[in-house]
Amino acid sequence: MPVRRRLTPYLLLLPGAAWLLVFFAVPMALMLVMSLQQGSLTEGYHLTWNWGIYPEVASKYGNLFVRSISFALITTLLTAAIGYPVAYTIAFHGGRLKNALLLVVIMPFFVSFVIRTLNWKMVLADNGLVFGTLKDLGWIDPAFRFLATPGAVVFGLTYNFLPFMVLPLYVALEKIDQRLVEAAADLYANRARAFLRVTFPLSLPGVVAGSLLTFIPAVGDFINADIIGARSPDVAMVGNVIQRLFLNVNDFPSAAALGFLLVAGTMLLVGVYTSLVGSERLTS
Amino acid sequence: MRDSEERTQIELAIDRILRQDPMSRRSFMRRTGRGGLALGAMLTLPSLLAACAPAKTKLEWANWPLYIDIDDKAKPDPTPYPSLNAFIKQTGIDVHYVEAINDNEEFYGTIQPDLAAGNPTDWDVISPTSWMVKRMADLGYLEELDHSKLPNWTANCADYAKGLWFDKENKYSVWWQGGITGIGYDPNLTGRELTKFDDLLDEKFKGRVGGFSDMRDMMTLTLASLGIDPTTATVAQAQKAKDKLLTAAKAGQFRGFYGNEYYDQLAAGDLVASVAWSGDITQMQLNDNDKVKFIVPADGAPRWNDNLVIPKKAAWIDQAHKLLNYWYDPVPATTLSEYIGYFTPVKGISERIKADADNYRSSGDTADADYYDVVAPSVAPTADQLAGTFDYPQFENAADEKAWNDMFLEVTTAAG
Repeated sequence: MPVRRRLTPYLLLLPGAAWLLVFFAVPMALMLVMSLQQGSLTEGYHLTWNWGIYPEVASKYGNLFVRSISFALITTLLTAAIGYPVAYTIAFHGGRLKNALLLVVIMPFFVSFVIRTLNWKMVLADNGLVFGTLKDLGWIDPAFRFLATPGAVVFGLTYNFLPFMVLPLYVALEKIDQRLVEAAADLYANRARAFLRVTFPLSLPGVVAGSLLTFIPAVGDFINADIIGARSPDVAMVGNVIQRLFLNVNDFPSAAALGFLLVAGTMLLVGVYTSLVGSERLTS
Repeated sequence: MRDSEERTQIELAIDRILRQDPMSRRSFMRRTGRGGLALGAMLTLPSLLAACAPAKTKLEWANWPLYIDIDDKAKPDPTPYPSLNAFIKQTGIDVHYVEAINDNEEFYGTIQPDLAAGNPTDWDVISPTSWMVKRMADLGYLEELDHSKLPNWTANCADYAKGLWFDKENKYSVWWQGGITGIGYDPNLTGRELTKFDDLLDEKFKGRVGGFSDMRDMMTLTLASLGIDPTTATVAQAQKAKDKLLTAAKAGQFRGFYGNEYYDQLAAGDLVASVAWSGDITQMQLNDNDKVKFIVPADGAPRWNDNLVIPKKAAWIDQAHKLLNYWYDPVPATTLSEYIGYFTPVKGISERIKADADNYRSSGDTADADYYDVVAPSVAPTADQLAGTFDYPQFENAADEKAWNDMFLEVTTAAG
């Protein structure tokens, strides 16, 4: 039946397409419609096609986009710098302990994200375990603080998203055929060269997947800025503004516009990134 | 209010976070319902939920966290709140006391869809702040009070606690507790006395000053410091206050803009000075740090109060009146004030606490006597305090209010 054969690929696409429609396209469309409304919670919101909201929120909160993206970028680089050696060691030198080590990596996930972040807040408090001790020893200035600084937020993000980097890297590294590295050695590549020419290129799918899994949620995160950032104004991220606009100011259109810009902006950045590194890296 | 000795820092912090975003099943459903309403979808979710609700057995009261006397050593019987238990025993009306309000707007958002649709909310009594009472009353979202059922209020309500701007005849509301938003600071850490709001912006304290996340408190303080009457300030005048705050925020003057979180940091000395609530600092002096002082800024500060109101179509209106009336009985009002230390609406409480202090002293319990001696003068505003403070800004319309909120959000996120 040639007709059925022609339809088969589309039928196979249906579940995925339905998923995208229900969980992405429809919410995005609703958010877009919300952003173009005007009014107040009490008087009700009415669709007025107020496109002017976009330049308005972009100029008001432009620096928060820059801030969020920089935090997320630094976080991604840090998780990669820390995660790569970890994944490499587990994949190539883990031996019998491989599974146990992987378990250790994801172990913190058994405890809620918020609770873990709160604990860091205590550990890193001005006079807490770490800095209190250092201050008592006279090694740092008594007025020194880490909480409520941009560094603290990046620290929190890095800690919380590290496993999202390690696991895809591990998967990519683990399946590299060790004989390829041996072959490189046979061809007079020293270890560094073999790593750069063989292991690293083969692990790129993991790097790409890991950096996307880290960067995308990190850009929109608001928990770290709220808890470790301790509500300091200069660490507020776009997610914090959206949350407060929605819950405290009840300004749904501005919140929706910012949310839409955030998703669109993230997609744009991810699009540029994947087209640079090649999206086949993700699937190979 | 607070009993930090009994609880570890971790417990308190977890409490706070949970309170900042209490996603109980109900509030989650309500938020879903609210978002859905705004988007024109899922209109029926709340009514579906209501349809399968069990028969009512308790009076539902939504209040702010840490706003009632609590005894966490005794076994809850039936609640951990001694003076509320006395009410339950006296009247046989079971009360479900919920610390459900962390933010006026946020809480309002959870009940607004039902009120707008003319449906009952789940609450019989709620405790909104002055301006929120006005908004809800203007929209017809509150039940009118029957004063014949509130004899204690008629007999015992202090003059400063009735006939206020947001409800001039107390048609809809009676005062629960109130206070002043001023400045708390530790003179040893600042190295000098602070007298006015601008002292908070002293560069020497950069990064060690706490602000509030409450727009009205911060804007009132700032407008007063600019010599503008906050009560009648226009959007253009508010803009000046915003510029002043935003400049300071961008320069890193404020360590953060807090709800309740400033308390621990000020007590620990991480903040040398902070915007603060009067009742909190009384508690801090008693329990956590006796060096911290509270001042009402010389150029003016906001006074505020939270109220007991009955939302429209509440199921237990009669029982709700009994609860309102109960809190104007001097006996529970004294217990409450001795514990939380805010401004009480009931006459003569200060004297009663003083008498308790004397009783303790004559029975040899000097610790408790000292405690009540500190609390006694703090539970009612002095004439000076009333004269040096302002009511909150009163907006002409919702658009103005939104403009103020938007401006202040820029401050708390150092935007632009």
